[in-house]
Amino acid sequence: METTNAKDFTELTCTNLMIKLKILLNKLPPGDAVAFYATREQVDNTCSPFSGQGYQVSWTATAENRYLVRIGK
Amino acid sequence: MHVSSSTFFFCEPVTGERMRWLSGVISAAGGEGASNETGSVKIFLSGDALFSLLDARTRPGWVTLSRMPSVRITADGDVLLLQGLFDPVASGIPGIRVTGAGNGRSFWGELVFALEMDWKGTKNAAFLLCNSPYMSRVPVYMLRFLASVVEAGLHPELYCYLDGVHVLHDGQRPSEFENIGKGVSALAGETVRSCRDPWFAACSRCATARGYYQMNPGTGFCEPASCIQDIAIRPLKEILARFPGFYPVASHMGGWTVPAGCEGGGVPGLSVFITHPPYCSEWTFGGLSLAIAAAMDGIPTNVIFIEDGVYALQEIHEVPGNERIFNVQEMIAVTTDIESLSYHVHSPSLEDRGIHRTGDFPLVGKVSDGDLPRILFPSKDGPASATAMRMLFF
Repeated sequence: METTNAKDFTELTCTNLMIKLKILLNKLPPGDAVAFYATREQVDNTCSPFSGQGYQVSWTATAENRYLVRIGK
Repeated sequence: MHVSSSTFFFCEPVTGERMRWLSGVISAAGGEGASNETGSVKIFLSGDALFSLLDARTRPGWVTLSRMPSVRITADGDVLLLQGLFDPVASGIPGIRVTGAGNGRSFWGELVFALEMDWKGTKNAAFLLCNSPYMSRVPVYMLRFLASVVEAGLHPELYCYLDGVHVLHDGQRPSEFENIGKGVSALAGETVRSCRDPWFAACSRCATARGYYQMNPGTGFCEPASCIQDIAIRPLKEILARFPGFYPVASHMGGWTVPAGCEGGGVPGLSVFITHPPYCSEWTFGGLSLAIAAAMDGIPTNVIFIEDGVYALQEIHEVPGNERIFNVQEMIAVTTDIESLSYHVHSPSLEDRGIHRTGDFPLVGKVSDGDLPRILFPSKDGPASATAMRMLFF
């Protein structure tokens, strides 16, 4: 199931996804979350490490190698 | 006293502005004005860089450098013939060596010989290709360079990045130019026949953007599309995983410096010069992406905004609502905390343009011409066992 307001970041490199997420999370009001699509590699290498920086990270598989990720403050 | 060996290879235009700061860097690499450093500097010029040998705005700089005993300048005689510049260069500047054009070892053989002297014991040599075939002649130079690498008994490595990934395209059939796709395939075959391993890769982000790496909806993974077989599409991270190795990476504009006695020790540093304005081309984004990814992998990395690259730091950039583009200032702002990454902006480039670095970037340090050697040749102030430094221009 696709969420219309979630951006597709599956084609970003892990480094550029990290940059993108840092930019988005810097602008995020407390209590809010960003939602986006990512690949398994991106989830493991880039999204998961944000949980160690005080963010809440969760994801659900929506298709083969496609995950809806939510990162919130 | 520290001794270093430096080589620069340029095949794109050397402007008057570039000549001014570069001659200071090259002089410092050669030991001029440094109290505790000496070294040899080899400069190899091909392509459009050769015009700077005769251009009134740059010729005096080359004449001065050619008189330094520690500096050796070599010009590509075959390209000089093509440009009609062979005689004026060969007879006009006594200190310039012209190779190729039937005179002994080829220009590319000389360049590979130089890198073997710098990177003693190296088994590999790489070329970072950022230019597309046919629009640019840089891919031809890449083939010449890597063919000489194989001839010298080394393993060739090719990293296709930005528009360099167009080399991947299967079915190239230029009517008037050398077929680059076939050239890469022939080079890969020749390398295997000589019992060496070619490591040819293209950046997956760049290849996906240009349609060479397409999603298979059944598997959810990307696969090569219309690609030659000899270049593997890999994440940039995998390409940069090669960089800790002790070997040179040549490019259309760049070089390296290797302190004596550092054979194989430590991870070579990386200095990325951002020379283009942001946004209208991919140079700034591509250079920054590569530098940040390298630093995140632990490679000590400098980013130097210089010449038109300083526009990345002017005023405040805002991406209009629906545009899909990275704001380079936001990229810089969220990456200043990466330990291995240092940002610098060249003050003379700001002054020449009458612009100012925005106050939002206090961690992007201003550097003068005199500061550049300190950044590029850290061995001058550091321990004698300092590591090598690669320099790439974007």
